[in-house]
Amino acid sequence: MKALGLGGTAALAGCDLPTTVTLEEGKEDVVSYLLPEEYAIPGIAVWYASTCTQCAAGCGIHGRVREGRVLKIEGNPDAPINAGKSCQMGQAGLQGHYNPDRITTPMVREGGKLVPTTWDKALAMLTEKVGAKATLNADRVAWFTGTLSGHQRALVGNHLEATGSKQHFAHEIVNASVWQAVSRDMLDDPMPRIRLDKAKLILSFGADFLGTWISPVHFAGQYSKFRTAADRGALIQVESKMSLTGGSADLWVAIRPGTEGALALGLANYLVANGINAAALSAEVRDKIAAHDLQKVAGITGIAVAQIERIGKALKSRNPSVVLAGPSVEGQVQGYEAVAAIMLLNVLLGNIGTTIEPSGKFPFPQLEAKTGGTRDLLAFAQAVQQKQFDVVFVYGANPVFSAPAALKLDEQLNNVPFKVVLAQFPDETAMHADLVLPVSSYLEDWGTHVAAYQAEQSQIGVQQPLMQKLYGDTRGFGDVMVALLAMRNAAQWSAFPDSYSYMKNVFANMKTSVGQAALSGDEFWNNSLQTGMVKVDAPARKHTVKPVVPNVAASTADAAYPYYLVPSPRMGLFDGRHANLPWLQESPDQIAKVVWDSWAEMHPSTADKLGIAHGDVIKVESEHGALEVKAYLIKAIHPDAISIPLGQGHTEYGRYAKGRGVNPLKILKPVTDAKTGELAMYATRIKVSKTGKQEIIIRLGHSDTQHGRRLARTVSVDVLKRTKGA
Amino acid sequence: MVRWVNKQVARIAAAALVWMMTSAGSVAQDIIPPVGLHDGEDVAQPIEFPHNIHVEVNKINCMYCHTYARRSKVAGIPPTSKCMGCHKIIATDKPRIQKLTEYWQKGESPKWKKVHDVPDYVHFTHERHIKKFVFDRDYPVEDVKEICAFCHGQLKDMTVAKKVKPLNMGWCVSCHEKNGGPSDCWKCHK
Repeated sequence: MKALGLGGTAALAGCDLPTTVTLEEGKEDVVSYLLPEEYAIPGIAVWYASTCTQCAAGCGIHGRVREGRVLKIEGNPDAPINAGKSCQMGQAGLQGHYNPDRITTPMVREGGKLVPTTWDKALAMLTEKVGAKATLNADRVAWFTGTLSGHQRALVGNHLEATGSKQHFAHEIVNASVWQAVSRDMLDDPMPRIRLDKAKLILSFGADFLGTWISPVHFAGQYSKFRTAADRGALIQVESKMSLTGGSADLWVAIRPGTEGALALGLANYLVANGINAAALSAEVRDKIAAHDLQKVAGITGIAVAQIERIGKALKSRNPSVVLAGPSVEGQVQGYEAVAAIMLLNVLLGNIGTTIEPSGKFPFPQLEAKTGGTRDLLAFAQAVQQKQFDVVFVYGANPVFSAPAALKLDEQLNNVPFKVVLAQFPDETAMHADLVLPVSSYLEDWGTHVAAYQAEQSQIGVQQPLMQKLYGDTRGFGDVMVALLAMRNAAQWSAFPDSYSYMKNVFANMKTSVGQAALSGDEFWNNSLQTGMVKVDAPARKHTVKPVVPNVAASTADAAYPYYLVPSPRMGLFDGRHANLPWLQESPDQIAKVVWDSWAEMHPSTADKLGIAHGDVIKVESEHGALEVKAYLIKAIHPDAISIPLGQGHTEYGRYAKGRGVNPLKILKPVTDAKTGELAMYATRIKVSKTGKQEIIIRLGHSDTQHGRRLARTVSVDVLKRTKGA
Repeated sequence: MVRWVNKQVARIAAAALVWMMTSAGSVAQDIIPPVGLHDGEDVAQPIEFPHNIHVEVNKINCMYCHTYARRSKVAGIPPTSKCMGCHKIIATDKPRIQKLTEYWQKGESPKWKKVHDVPDYVHFTHERHIKKFVFDRDYPVEDVKEICAFCHGQLKDMTVAKKVKPLNMGWCVSCHEKNGGPSDCWKCHK
């Protein structure tokens, strides 16, 4: 840290960090302030509030700034969504900011290669393509982004309007789109609030709410209340591959992939048979439930009748409960139906209104999150194939990395004559661009964020620069946007030379509508920056329960491809966006404990059948491609499932990510959930064969057993119960 | 009578103590300066800053320029604006000052070279040391250079600073032992 903060200041300006910090006299530079701020004392930190953008949850953060360098990130205690907490991805934000692989100048494609250029030339190119004099037919300009909210979304909306287009695609691999669709249809609420803290039992079907699901830091806070309550809550996790949340469960149940909907209906069957009133449900829904007797469900799911009864009993006796569905349920051809069956359990158990609360209706729809999913990726790939766009802008998304190889997106992008990528790093998509615009890191930029999932108190997260830009030639996203807008509509937009002036204007206008009319403009602006948020009153929606008939159907066996591919996301590398952050590469996977690598988890019984040993390099093959990856034998997976973690397998993206591991997204079959059109990410069938190679898997601890050394001793529950006192 | 004599002895002793503590150039009996020397290198600085002129001739207090020493873990290289506070007017004909003015007009600080340093795993704080040796003892602030000299040597005799004390762990620990400094590893190694 000294190298960042004090000693190597001058060296850092060129971002050429010394490899050693020397104590020799006269070797290190020490640069004083030219003209210090009154409050600035070297060695004493100042904390500034901002908003994290490492995922779409929108946590409030405080950044510790010393000598003009941001050195540490913590959660903002006043932020309702994360209440002072932060996750490892949030902590690692610094490594994106100080990353040695950042793009520092605009780049343009010349003779097939990206070569550095200047902003003047880049803006001249943009003026030619999308400026006031450019002829743009309707819907020929498109924006492809990640989840986008707040004024970033508003600016993209303005730009699309200015260019006569409605083509905004929002893409996230890790999403809850189907859960949202079911909630919208069944409860009239796209993102109901979940109150784990009020529940006595959580039954989660693959929702990794402590790791990657919707707003993990928020849920972890609720979960700790749920666990520490006098009447300690119990967690049952049903999934095909153990997640971080599964690892914390009281009961972890391995389920055959894609059969969660059947289990939900089987549980409903048990509840109805055991006195839960289902009269409010339609006859059609009741028929579906009746058709799922436990014997049948046990056959479909591979879970014994006694186990299903045990879960059913827990659901009946522990009230209130909450039942959740995560991506492994959503990502099936019948994903929507399965999630609907799971939501039906909440209806049956009376959880709607107790542990599933209506969310607030955010009063500024133009700032609400445009949440990404995979449907937009598929739609974009199709549109590109059909040559529908003249100009495409990409920001905050890396579709070339995340698109299944079957979509051939990398080749199809050649159908777009002018591709502009606003990027911080040379990722796969940026390498396909015609023009790359280097954007500032989130610690150098302005913005506002409205997370799709809001806590009881809704908020607009305010993002402000915590330090000056490391590289003078990068520009904030807002800076680029106001420039793009001004070149199209100078009369309206040239008043804003940069995003700072735009933001100040926005806040001046926002004051009254958020009930702060009594404050002066400067007071409101300063308060917003000091607290890192604007609290917003969002009137609660009303839940009207309209149970959907869940047409759950079991998938059929496939003799050629007998296993299911589970591409599992984790807190850390996430969907691959954090693969260039060494802290997250070296943080062990929460279950397998592997670092800096890819691996394929399989059950020992499956490995036995195939003659595969731990560390064998295996070939994992789908209809759409094959990967070679090391086999990792683990009991925390269903024998029919092979799980490869998401995040690795980058072919670009800087020195830490490039050429490391494999990307399971590449071999996905491009099938969709029938109702929502979302990519059925967990529906790809695979076969596995040996390659004859063996490699060491690097992981923390290296072994799952104590080899008889009794380092950590245990006693049985029975012995514990017979012990009194000590 | 005995009581009177005792009182007088106590008074004289107290007066002697005060004299010892306040006499110029001495750091009094209640603290024992660290012992040990280091034959440091001559470090070429962008401007050959004459500590001797500032300290010895002009009697400027160390903490006038190194103002952060009593407030922070680092003493701080003085901001260029501080230099210019005087040198807009004083000694403007001198080549060193003209060089300094050039930096100021370009809006840059000189790239000074670090002379005194401890490893990254050592948490040293100027603030605590100055509190203990100066403010807690009511040591006259005008003589603070004698305290600074414990670790930095007599700057009144140098132009640019030179490392003349070892600044290694044994040296730190011996001073901590003699003067009741903390001996817990974690006080310094964080």
